Amino acid sequence: MRESISECERIAHAQGLAAGLGVALAGVDADAAPGLIAALPTTRVAPGASVIPHRMAQLEGISFVRPLAKAACSGEERTALAGRLGGVRLGLVRSLIERAVGHLSGRVVGGEPTIRKQLVLGTVADLVTETEAIRRLLTVAGTVSTAVADAHERLTVLGWEAAKLFGASGYLVDGPVRGVYVSRLVANCWVVTEAGGS
Amino acid sequence: MTGRDLDPALRELRDTCRQIAQDLRSRALAVDADPDDVSRHLDAPSLTLLRTASTPKRFRQEDLPLRFAEYTDSCLARALANVELARGDAGILSANTGPSLAGLAVDALGDEAQRELFYRALADGRTWTFFAMTEPDRGSDATALTSRFEPDPGGGHRLTGTKRYVANAARGSIGVVFARTGPTALSIRAALVQCPVPGFSGHALDMIGLRGARFGEMRFDGVRVPEEMLLGRHLPTSQRGIWGAGRAFNVMRVQIAAQALGLAFAISDYVLEHRPRSPGAELISARLAAARELLYDVAVAVDRAPGDPRPPSIVKLHTTALAVELTRWAERALGAGSLLEHPLLEKWCRDVCAFEFMDGTGNILRLHIAPDTAPVREER
Repeated sequence: MRESISECERIAHAQGLAAGLGVALAGVDADAAPGLIAALPTTRVAPGASVIPHRMAQLEGISFVRPLAKAACSGEERTALAGRLGGVRLGLVRSLIERAVGHLSGRVVGGEPTIRKQLVLGTVADLVTETEAIRRLLTVAGTVSTAVADAHERLTVLGWEAAKLFGASGYLVDGPVRGVYVSRLVANCWVVTEAGGS
Repeated sequence: MTGRDLDPALRELRDTCRQIAQDLRSRALAVDADPDDVSRHLDAPSLTLLRTASTPKRFRQEDLPLRFAEYTDSCLARALANVELARGDAGILSANTGPSLAGLAVDALGDEAQRELFYRALADGRTWTFFAMTEPDRGSDATALTSRFEPDPGGGHRLTGTKRYVANAARGSIGVVFARTGPTALSIRAALVQCPVPGFSGHALDMIGLRGARFGEMRFDGVRVPEEMLLGRHLPTSQRGIWGAGRAFNVMRVQIAAQALGLAFAISDYVLEHRPRSPGAELISARLAAARELLYDVAVAVDRAPGDPRPPSIVKLHTTALAVELTRWAERALGAGSLLEHPLLEKWCRDVCAFEFMDGTGNILRLHIAPDTAPVREER
């Protein structure tokens, strides 16, 4: 479990969402999705599948499909998949934080790089801390569904907090935030939340 | 839950806005899908009414229902109306033609002839405006902008610089551009600019949400700015530029805060419509009511003391964060696949992020909020 989550994080960090999702979904088909919609790497979509158009997902190589049938999938399998997907999102958000630091190092406010501003440094420190904490949560409690769901909700917060460091440039479709946003939609398809269920 | 008692005129305004919001909602997804095709919505009675209502009384082309008379009279009326309208959809509000943020700046800094020019240019109902402040590498730090007005040997000024993340950057025909005439903060001035004009180019940027606003980039390469287009000439030196526009900025900030809150209400309404007994709904309702109370208090404070940036910064910081938080609650409440099954909800998840960078990012607001001394609270 620990190794597969790390592997998903490593692949997503290096190669992006579609590659990471491909690894996370290994052996899992669209019909195992807990809801009515599954998220897949576009390369894995079967011909003739019912695809829900989504512009940003398409640019990330992700497709949302409506499975024709439901396959049996145990709670343990779902939680394990959600844990691996947590690894994917960790890799993406870690990449986003790194790019944010680079972005802010190149900007100057009041005569010094923005990255040296105390408000910004504090935010970056919080992001790094939360990244480490979520990784450990997935590592030690990757089989506990509520813990994994909690990790995903915190990853959504983490992605948004990192996105804000880019200011308005983080709101461009052709920017580094896109993958993190689409990964939220992917997680929404695969992760069962306690309140919403499936 | 208890809230403020609104006077009858404001209640009527609120109720009318609630009716209009339904029409806005019906157009929301179409504008998001194809923001360049917004023209077909402009003649809708709802958008026409909002355009007219946001125009000062003496420049209005059409009569307004009596209940809309207060819209431009106070920050409180604007705040109240914007909550209800954004509860329909905030995206289409930003797609409409009309004075918008530029109008507030012209009202604050323009002389009679400039106001006349600006509002007459909007009379056709087909004219978008722009408010060009933000620059590519300067973010929300308005005092650091580098665009410049340089003296033109032929008279007036030449405007050079690049603006980014400006609503209606490519399609706007008239608007306000901020630039500096010298190195100090007092030298930051604003001018009315009409486009197209030689030396100007603009293009829309592909943004994640609030796509109807058509945020984009504007480049000015020696654009001629006649002296009479420079705003604030009739005002004292200290009030001609960015500081003179302080009231306008504060009203804008409250208006954006109101839209963020309206969007949060929209999300809550939507979730409760689809899952009436969602866990946490009571707490969410209480927090929304409290945020609305804060918004109204701030709007009243701006009406009383329009120059203080702190209250508008507090409310925008809070309502933006609350709206973002509500997207996560909605996702949790509606369950797996909900964001794709409910396109409006997914659109709102994207739209809400725009409020973070409009008219000051969170960190800029924090710098306004953090006091130099310990906070003082009035005892009641």
